[in-house]
Amino acid sequence: MAKTFAVGYRARETATVRRTRRDRSRVGGTPTAWLFVAPAVVIILGLSIGPMIWSLLLSFQSADLVTPARWLGWHNYEVLATDPTFRRAVEHTLLYTALFVPLSIVGGLGLALALNRRIRLIGLYRTLIFVPFVVSAASQGVLFSFVFDAQFGIANSLLARIGLPTQGFFADPNEALPLLVAIGLWSGVGFCVIILLAALQDIPPELREAAIVDGAGRGAVLRHVVLPTLRPVLVFLVVWQTIQALQVFDLVYVTTKGGPLGSTVVIVYFVWDQAFQLFQAGYGAAAAYLLAAVLLAASLLLRLYQRIRKA
Amino acid sequence: MTTADTVRRPGRGRRLPFSGWHLLLAPLSMGFALPLLWLLASSFMTNAEINRFPPALFPHGIHLDGYLYVLRNALFPRWFANTAIVAIVAVLANLVFGSLAGYAFARIRFLGSRVLLAVMLATMVIPFQITMIPTFLLMSRLRLTDTLGALIVPSLVTPFAVFLLRQFFLRLPPELEEAARIDGCSRLRTLVSVILPLARPALATVAALTFLTTWNDLTWPLIAITSDHQYTLQLGLATFQGQHRTEWPAVMAGNVITILPVLVAFLLAQRTFVQSLTSTAVKG
Amino acid sequence: MLRGETTRRGVLLGATAAAATALAGCGGTGGTVHGVTTIVLWHGQNDVAKATVERLVAEFNRTHPHIRVRASSGGVLADGMLQKVMAALAAGSYPDLAYVFGSNLANLARSDKVLDLTEQARDPAFGWADRWPPARAAASVDGRVRAMPALLDSLCVVYNKKLFARSGVEPPRPGWSWADFTTAARQLTDRHRGVFGTGWPAVGDEDTVWRIWPMVWDLGGDVARHGRPAFGGTSGLRALDTVARLAADRSVYIDTQTGSDQLYQVFLGGSMAMVPTGPWQLPQVREAKLDYGVVPMPTYTGRPLTISGPDNWVIFDNGRDRAAAAVEFARWLTAPKQDVRWDASAGSLPLRRSTARQPAWRHTVAGTPGLQVFVDALTTARVRPTIRAYPQISRAVGEAIVSVLLGHATPDAALSGALAAARTALASSL
Repeated sequence: MAKTFAVGYRARETATVRRTRRDRSRVGGTPTAWLFVAPAVVIILGLSIGPMIWSLLLSFQSADLVTPARWLGWHNYEVLATDPTFRRAVEHTLLYTALFVPLSIVGGLGLALALNRRIRLIGLYRTLIFVPFVVSAASQGVLFSFVFDAQFGIANSLLARIGLPTQGFFADPNEALPLLVAIGLWSGVGFCVIILLAALQDIPPELREAAIVDGAGRGAVLRHVVLPTLRPVLVFLVVWQTIQALQVFDLVYVTTKGGPLGSTVVIVYFVWDQAFQLFQAGYGAAAAYLLAAVLLAASLLLRLYQRIRKA
Repeated sequence: MTTADTVRRPGRGRRLPFSGWHLLLAPLSMGFALPLLWLLASSFMTNAEINRFPPALFPHGIHLDGYLYVLRNALFPRWFANTAIVAIVAVLANLVFGSLAGYAFARIRFLGSRVLLAVMLATMVIPFQITMIPTFLLMSRLRLTDTLGALIVPSLVTPFAVFLLRQFFLRLPPELEEAARIDGCSRLRTLVSVILPLARPALATVAALTFLTTWNDLTWPLIAITSDHQYTLQLGLATFQGQHRTEWPAVMAGNVITILPVLVAFLLAQRTFVQSLTSTAVKG
Repeated sequence: MLRGETTRRGVLLGATAAAATALAGCGGTGGTVHGVTTIVLWHGQNDVAKATVERLVAEFNRTHPHIRVRASSGGVLADGMLQKVMAALAAGSYPDLAYVFGSNLANLARSDKVLDLTEQARDPAFGWADRWPPARAAASVDGRVRAMPALLDSLCVVYNKKLFARSGVEPPRPGWSWADFTTAARQLTDRHRGVFGTGWPAVGDEDTVWRIWPMVWDLGGDVARHGRPAFGGTSGLRALDTVARLAADRSVYIDTQTGSDQLYQVFLGGSMAMVPTGPWQLPQVREAKLDYGVVPMPTYTGRPLTISGPDNWVIFDNGRDRAAAAVEFARWLTAPKQDVRWDASAGSLPLRRSTARQPAWRHTVAGTPGLQVFVDALTTARVRPTIRAYPQISRAVGEAIVSVLLGHATPDAALSGALAAARTALASSL
């Protein structure tokens, strides 16, 4: 998998080479190409462009999904700008992202490096670290609500048993969000591990050996051989994990429902809450559009940056 | 590069020396497994045991009440089958449509291809929660609501699958298929007989991730499905947690049963996508 | 791989079966064909209640050949119904009846697709006056009847007799005060044994909030009056003071898990002495073999008062035939003979006074100690106003209660925050 991205992003592949390749295989391309992409284009765009326009319009309206909507212009966006709940949702989302993205990638890299060796039981270790990734959000919700119950959960019971102070966990507004990050990492780090592990195994051993022969230490090999090779994969992971983190919803929905005291309200939860609990779907849509605009701008900036670097 | 064919390493059964890494890896991997072990343990507890104070770490004896409650539910096999249908159809469709589109985007130059790809990828940044209602509206116009079709159609192909396969195809040497095309193979033949056999790791990745997302989804089925014989497992499990009463052992047991198939699917796929990559790298 | 083979075959078999139904299109669409009107019911129930409602539906279909009711939970339990119904309304393809929480009616009723039953309710045969006042109030919006009562409850205190005896605390008696309650809770708390005096849901949702209204009403306050919040001043403050007392004494189990299930599990496990709850909890309490008692809610003034949180069958307009059929079904379902069967399994109190006189209900009461206390409490029960701003007010008050429970705000500060939010909500909903 890693190789997939690795080479896709590989900057070594110069523009000229690519152009000749394409030209060579152009013969009679267009109708076939359209046939090939048609199903994907129809399904993906058909299911997103329409709905996106629908909710864009909604964001300019006072709409509760129940009664005919009223056109408000930019009003929803203006109110959002001063809504303290929305501001907190943005802060929580950014904090979650700022913690989740680097920790999952650095942690994933560390684990992948540790797992990238041939020792006994290594298959078991890899599997155990990866298993949480397949657990559904709903299952995580049930599981961790029990584990982290402040009074009756096993987490506190274990802490007490080894003589550490018990924690409020989901009952403590200061702990709930970091706890969600921890659960997110528990289930999300496996994805990074498996991709990075594949990428690590993709590095030709001669490359490392050559570096070691040249007298490079472990750190130097990591810095000068391993990391540069992993760069494209790491870029992909940053983008992917950022999208995941900014859109975090399921985990919040199944554990805290935004509480306690709104300390875990993230943007997508805010959107859902406005639409389905508070009868303000238009307002929620405006919030969603702000998020989408920021995400689009961020990815455009990233592309721009990549292009500048390449040039 | 051309050695994507899997070469089984003889190393599997061989004795490997003890390593200091065990001291790090053993506790770490146990830490990851611990919550799930508790889930497994609690699925064998009684309702009273799950809610005991101080909490029980291990069940006193094996109670199968939870599993019996789940399996006695006449619709459970149905839910299992529904989920499997949705997941399998989604996987197959993603492989087919994703390969076709990914190949075209990677290999064929046509007007608007870059813009089209960019727009499709851009849709990934839209959270589903905001397009949920209009998507429901669309499904309702297609008369698909409350059928498995409503669950299948939106997951027939994802931008992620297209993107991932395109990236993979880009890196295959074009010479490979040129030979085939000179022999007069059509694009489709080339794709099927030359490209796809080489793309096993990427296909396995798409398959595994698609299976996982569709199998585990709850948000969309919750809106799209109403009749209990159309439930998926996640939806069925959600209704175990009642308004005023919840059979916790059943919830736990249901979760265990639901996690197992994805786990197996992933372990199978993982072998393909890690090992086939490994073999190319380690072989040297 | 033998296992793998068999499961694969099983999956395939199931796949074919399910695909066949999927194609057959179980869209749950209604309509009139050959004089038979098909209507769709989303009941949002599971377990015993689901079995009962589906049995009743089968009986209705048998006895009413011109109507066919297609019943399903709706794919959600009652707490997920709102989202479901809103999506359905937005898509223009909605059921004929759905089970909806009382606090959501005011907003749903803004839709003209929600039937107005006012005229029909004037017919004496409709039995509107026979329904308990709280049920009628919760089904009415702006003086119009907009739903059929579906579930009726009242809040009372269920207590564990064994824990009272062990701590040597006098069991509560009708007419007790909130001071008695907090004192007892403190005395009954035993940290070493993990025993709590009482519990309070702390997600901040409606389950957190509805418990505070009888306290506010008792002190002369209200949710809103004349478009302004009316829980300011002493009423809100004293109520929150009581909450703060419980929190300070650490005599309250604070349940931050959604659904409040944990709280009841603690009570059922014998680790909580008193829990304010509804009649729907009694079957589980009995199943847990607890030695329990039921008393009315404590008060400040000595006047008995409690809250009732009824739920509704909301009926949607899918054309004249289907609407008429849906109303006919709802009337049949809530007629005393059916009502009594539904009540016993859904954990509801009788929706109608005449149901309470049915021998079957008397039998249920006789076999369920404490149930009569809940019924009697109906005479002094009030309901939340069916106003559009309620979800927002509830959110604000929920936040206030939770912040006091968690010790993050003084009752004073929490209250003024909630009042400000409620004022905004009420102003913008006018």
